[in-house]
Amino acid sequence: MSAALHYPSYYPSYFSIEDILATNEKVPCKFEKTACDLGFLDPSGGSKDLEVGTKLELPCWLARALASRRQIVSCQLPKTFRERYREILKADAALVDLHTLSPHFYELGQHLLPLAGPEGTTLGLLLVETLRERLRSIMDTSLNTTEDDAGTRQSKLDQLERSLFLTGRKTFRDHQLWLSRRAHIVTTSYMVTQHNKRKFSEVS
Amino acid sequence: MDSIEIEFLAEKAPVTIVPNFTHDKLYLISGDVGPFTAGLPVDIPLWLGINLRQRGKCRLVAPEWMDVEKLTEIKEEEKQSKVFTQMPCEHYLIVTQLLLSSAPEDIPNAQQIKTLVKDIWDLRISKLRSSVAEFIESEGTHATLDRLTLLEINSVRPFLPHAFDQLHRISKSAHGSNLSQTTQDIQY
Repeated sequence: MSAALHYPSYYPSYFSIEDILATNEKVPCKFEKTACDLGFLDPSGGSKDLEVGTKLELPCWLARALASRRQIVSCQLPKTFRERYREILKADAALVDLHTLSPHFYELGQHLLPLAGPEGTTLGLLLVETLRERLRSIMDTSLNTTEDDAGTRQSKLDQLERSLFLTGRKTFRDHQLWLSRRAHIVTTSYMVTQHNKRKFSEVS
Repeated sequence: MDSIEIEFLAEKAPVTIVPNFTHDKLYLISGDVGPFTAGLPVDIPLWLGINLRQRGKCRLVAPEWMDVEKLTEIKEEEKQSKVFTQMPCEHYLIVTQLLLSSAPEDIPNAQQIKTLVKDIWDLRISKLRSSVAEFIESEGTHATLDRLTLLEINSVRPFLPHAFDQLHRISKSAHGSNLSQTTQDIQY
């Protein structure tokens, strides 16, 4: 229990699965140069090469690499980060269902910053303001609601918010357990009860 | 920190007991305890007091602040005040919890005290929540946690530090991209 309650907060790294999933989201791109022998990437095209001006949705990691120095493609923001959705988020961020909008909203947003061009400042501000505005309700629900209520609340949160939410839940549960004087009872570890592999002692 | 760890720290708080046995001084690592004389009140650490009480070796004396009138006063003060008021004991909830669960018959008006302490806790936690929300909205960079007790601070940990870590990380990368934007502009 004590080990589970304390860990450093999330920070993206090369091996972070969250980061990999976030950079896998699609970004609309337009090719500025002809890409030879890459026609198979565009199933509707049918030609051998990708012509200048072809519009394709590329994963964020690829788009970033192609757009940065050699400027093979030019990128647009995905629709979640465009003007219309920005207005919705500005109106009342706390009510938006971020999970359906974009499950890795903040992480993807940060990766898009260098691609956004002149819109970068607005995008950066949008990310910070959205999290700031949503933080209060996340804190209140994660630290105070009952178990069955928590599930429904959680479904509207993006992945980053969800991990924060679960952190809060752990504190809440720990405190409830302590209040009912059951915190000192040693229970079987989850790993042991869910152990599906054959045990060496059973085999031999 | 876990609640149990804070409970462990709180158990070092002194409590007065009336022993029903006589014993010499006990020499413990944390300090000397006793001597115990039957019928004479003596101050000992809470953990030892509870242990002796469970073995029926003493009677616990309620701390001075654990009194219906005093607690009602504190509760009213807490309700009126906009800031946190000074608590009579750093670990008031834990001490109450421990004393009431191990020796409810030694504390006069145990039920009332339990409700009062719970009320004070709830008042302070809701105050903490609203001030944290205000802090987030006001984009503050630091806050003083005067008069908050350890268990109260722990109730928003590690959620709050983590949340601010994320907020800081996002605003840093947003700011960073702004900077590179302006340097690019200069180059053009």
